[in-house]
Amino acid sequence: MADTTWTNDGEDILTKAKSNRLKYIVGGVLLLTAVVFLVVNAMRGSTQLYKTVNEFYAEQSRLTGRDLRIGGIVIGDSIKFTEIDAQTTRLEFDVVDDLDNPSPVLHIVAMNEPMPDLLQHEAQALIEGHANENGVFMANQGGLLLKCPTRYEELDPAGHPDGITNSTSSEQ
Amino acid sequence: MIVDIGYISLLLAFLAAIYSAVAAWYGKSKNEERWIESARNATIATLPLLLVSSAMLIASILRNDFSVEYVWRVSSIEMPTYLKYTALWGGQAGSLLFWNLVLAVFTAVAMANKWRSQKDLIPNALIVISLTQIFFLGISAFVENPFARMEMVPANGNGLNPLLRHPGMIIHPPMLYLGYIGFIIPYTFAMAALMAGKLDDGWIKATRRWTLTAWLFLSLGLILGGRWAYDVLGWGGYWGWDPVENASLMPWLSGTAFLHSVMIQEKRQMFKWWNMVLIVITYSLVVWGTFIVRSGVISSVHSFARSAIGPLFFGFVVIMLLFSAYWITKRRDQLATGNKLNSLLSREAAFLYNNFLIITILVIVFFFTHYPMISELFIGEQGFVGPPVYEKALAPLFTLLVILMGIAPLTMWYRSSAKRLGIAMRWPALAALIITIGLFALGIRHWGALLGLWATAFAAILTLLEFWKGTRARMKKGEPVWTAFSRLMARNRRRYGGYWIHMGVLMMALGIIGIESFQQETQLRLETGERLTLGRYEMELKGMERYPGPDDLLITEATINVYENGKFVRTLLPRTELYTRTGQPMTIPSIRSTIADDFYVILVNWEPTTATAATFRVFLNPLVNWVWAGGFVFILGTLIAAWPDKKKETVASRAAQAALGAAD
Repeated sequence: MADTTWTNDGEDILTKAKSNRLKYIVGGVLLLTAVVFLVVNAMRGSTQLYKTVNEFYAEQSRLTGRDLRIGGIVIGDSIKFTEIDAQTTRLEFDVVDDLDNPSPVLHIVAMNEPMPDLLQHEAQALIEGHANENGVFMANQGGLLLKCPTRYEELDPAGHPDGITNSTSSEQ
Repeated sequence: MIVDIGYISLLLAFLAAIYSAVAAWYGKSKNEERWIESARNATIATLPLLLVSSAMLIASILRNDFSVEYVWRVSSIEMPTYLKYTALWGGQAGSLLFWNLVLAVFTAVAMANKWRSQKDLIPNALIVISLTQIFFLGISAFVENPFARMEMVPANGNGLNPLLRHPGMIIHPPMLYLGYIGFIIPYTFAMAALMAGKLDDGWIKATRRWTLTAWLFLSLGLILGGRWAYDVLGWGGYWGWDPVENASLMPWLSGTAFLHSVMIQEKRQMFKWWNMVLIVITYSLVVWGTFIVRSGVISSVHSFARSAIGPLFFGFVVIMLLFSAYWITKRRDQLATGNKLNSLLSREAAFLYNNFLIITILVIVFFFTHYPMISELFIGEQGFVGPPVYEKALAPLFTLLVILMGIAPLTMWYRSSAKRLGIAMRWPALAALIITIGLFALGIRHWGALLGLWATAFAAILTLLEFWKGTRARMKKGEPVWTAFSRLMARNRRRYGGYWIHMGVLMMALGIIGIESFQQETQLRLETGERLTLGRYEMELKGMERYPGPDDLLITEATINVYENGKFVRTLLPRTELYTRTGQPMTIPSIRSTIADDFYVILVNWEPTTATAATFRVFLNPLVNWVWAGGFVFILGTLIAAWPDKKKETVASRAAQAALGAAD
């Protein structure tokens, strides 16, 4: 990026250029180290693993308690919103990888989370949180993301890079 | 019939683009002007062809012709007419056609211009832009054909999602497209300059307004998208570091770096190589962003239909990168310049730091966005990086950028004395410190926020001083204050437009620090007559109501009285609307907005059986309106900087021509 150039006439200039060059290299390495530190420090302990429902069950014991981001399709009939008391609400629903082959099912619980408008049958959900010992997936506060139907189209049934296979994104 | 005309026009546009590339190449190698003119005409002809094609698609939507698959996907008989027009970009295939239309508009306008000062660039520019057109038109014509037919004709279509019926959502995609595609023009001329070996700053000057326009639309797209999220999504936020959002932020970042670093090339003939790299990066990120958004390779909350176009975009980006890298390498000797950085305290050094910070931010955003792919490659598991990680890594860099924004205008070209800089910064730094201590005394203990607020205040004071210094200098010549100020703006649009943009960014920074550091939220079930307290606000539920709205809507609405420090200020009506036909609910927050904060209320739940009680989620979003106000100032500044300045332009182009004549 630095567009510094130097001429070759005279020993002095050459030495000066060399020491300048060294300065730039040292400075560059220091800056790079600072940036890498910034990134590593920010990521330490804060990254999640992305899993589909099947992937989760394949390694359930290892993944229990870990910070996860689960991708799945919502089963409409399973959505339940309960007011426990004035301060507490519980939203629960099941997600699967494939509605045509709805097993295994992961049960999601989100405490004190308003019911998202897009949470409905066949919606694609991304849920951040962790699975507890009972195999229930507890969503983080604000960790319930419903896919925004940006283009509002039906998806191709095959070739889902997320590993999710479904027939519709969000149907009216 | 209508459908056939639409598809044939699309095919003809595709053929015109191929013809243009071939004719321009032939004309260039044989040095025959008429072939180049013919290529130019073919390129311009893509515009009317695509206008016809788009008009035919809209006509099919208006006629509810569900034999066309695209019409069936995005429209329905009941849909209001204005939404049928905007359904042109409501789905994958249509939005690609719309993308092609916008590209044709930009291309035709750019190529209809005679470019007297840059005539030598035209043949190459035609080749480069035609390559881009061939790719996108080819995708539209053969992969994502918006005119494809259904095997069976359904009685009605799917219709557009109610969530997307927000005005912000209707204009937000076209704004982003205009921004994305606008950057294709400066890239085209940069490549043409490389191929022609004409590496003065002619291409930069010639395309400066294009760059600014593209940047303006991209900024507008980002701001409107944020506003939509805040109004509609109901989580009291505006930016979620989602891969699709990042896809539009990244070219904006490299475009910002480019806009700054070209000033060094214009002034000091330095950084030529770097400017080429920046415009190539920006162009590649535009295409790459389209790839991320539409291929679904990274799990995002935006779901696009998956289709075969993913690998095609990937291939195209790789080809264009190789093509650009080839030409930059080939011309590396001409891109190297004799000028060097004289001092680390000069204006050019300040631009260098600016570029370093922005590109570092860009690299980090790129790394985090692609982390799922990268981690899968290296550790075999898809990882994911959430917003807190972005914020933690980027906050220090943004803070440095804000401080630099204040200091940079004080520096001089070539070198500036540390002593002079110190004197100029001393009092503003102290004043900002006093403000920060005042905030501490008021009870703010969030250290990150205090540091950010200090930096913002420091930069804002320095920027305002720049306005004041310029105005005072004119007042000394006897102009009254307002005349002095407005003439200062009019005479130095680029510079003071830039300072307005800086002020807009600083206002947004204030808002972002406010909502990120001090947002409060709570959730509670209230009986009628009960109250809830959040910050200095109190709200009382007065009653609940359910009634039918227009169309098939069923509206559930709460009436809430809001009290500030015990005094009644306003009635809020948060509600949910249910589209009964489709079962799609929509939560509509009700907000009391002031310059200090937003009191943002969402109706969470109401069971008609317990008619007297309802559950609410309430956010207190401090300073958030500074984000929107700052966005407005930002756009205003960009308009000031980009506004045509006829007199200056001709002088500049004459000077450029004279310089060219001398060089020849």
